[in-house]
Amino acid sequence: MSKYIVDKFIRAVELSDAAVAAYVADPGGVVDAWLAGGGGPTGPSDDRQLTPAERDAFAARDFEALYALGAHPYLLWHFTEAVYEHEYTPDSGWRELVERYRAAVAPQGIVDYIP
Amino acid sequence: MAELVLAAATPHNPLLWRAMNDPVPDDLQPIAANFARIREAVAAHEVDVLVVIGTDHVRQFFYDNSPAFVVGKAESYHGTWENEVRTFGMEYVELAGHRELADEITGRTVLPETIDLAVSLEWRLDHSYVIPLQYVRPELDLPVVPIHTNASMPPVPSVRRFVALGEHLRDAIERWDSDARVAILTSGHMANDVGGPRTFAGSPDPDFDEAAASWMRDGDLEGAIRVCSDFQRLLEAGCMTYQYLNAVAALAAMGGRPADFAEVTPSRFASSPFFLWGSR
Repeated sequence: MSKYIVDKFIRAVELSDAAVAAYVADPGGVVDAWLAGGGGPTGPSDDRQLTPAERDAFAARDFEALYALGAHPYLLWHFTEAVYEHEYTPDSGWRELVERYRAAVAPQGIVDYIP
Repeated sequence: MAELVLAAATPHNPLLWRAMNDPVPDDLQPIAANFARIREAVAAHEVDVLVVIGTDHVRQFFYDNSPAFVVGKAESYHGTWENEVRTFGMEYVELAGHRELADEITGRTVLPETIDLAVSLEWRLDHSYVIPLQYVRPELDLPVVPIHTNASMPPVPSVRRFVALGEHLRDAIERWDSDARVAILTSGHMANDVGGPRTFAGSPDPDFDEAAASWMRDGDLEGAIRVCSDFQRLLEAGCMTYQYLNAVAALAAMGGRPADFAEVTPSRFASSPFFLWGSR
């Protein structure tokens, strides 16, 4: 159970334009580099550990899996938007991404996302 | 003594910022009109200070440190975040604080018996504060005391704490030795499920919306308390529905009397609350 760290990584990416760009360019590389970081001796405890399933979901930008793993829904939607919007085309934009997202999470119902 | 002259509840849906650009699309005209109604009421009531109750959306506050209620005691605030500028097209703003009123709400000699308030002296306000202000007071010229209610990161405080917040705000304002005219501006949602199974598919729970509108229209604070005491019921109405309780705080601040104006406006995103209590 690493819901807290799942949310923390989502937030680390979504809050910053530079982090979104880096993650979109290399999702697996960014998540692995982030996991290798830490608070250091002057910071609070900062054990960044994701389960292999969580790590792989981030590497694949797999919002369906992240929802099932208990990511905070509000954070997850905005993360999804941030890391897919560069793929919008005239025929498939925001509304279509909403539909894809909803189709992925709706069958799962309400998942316990409280860390 | 200072006077609580007005309270209002509005939506803070940041998607409106792009969608309601001039010209306002037909389906969003009623929302624009209701914001205008509250904007005109704030102007007509000659408000000096705004207490702005909102819910930070996991920007300033996160699960490393998640207080139930936070009162802003800063002299000034930056508004909105990099991700909100990117995602919603919002604009950075600067807002003046109001330390004197903040001290009346939670100063060193203020020890409320029904609620515990955390404070922040360095706080970047998110769309929950900036969007309502930009529609209700586009001049952004009134000083604010922002209050965060944790309605986004369970465990959340109970509905009775939101009631206590509203009652405490009225007491603090009326105790304040000032001739200021104060308004409480709250924002939140009706049933709302951003990120959940019913994301942006209209209202996820029209039954809840109808009941929640009636509590404001009828001044039924007990009805609001009875249903909103059930966290699971609100979660079933959508993962962000608990932010409706910011309107319950306004209802409590106004002594539980029926709102002078209460409308829940449907839109392409979800249903939007507009509640107004005036004194003129």
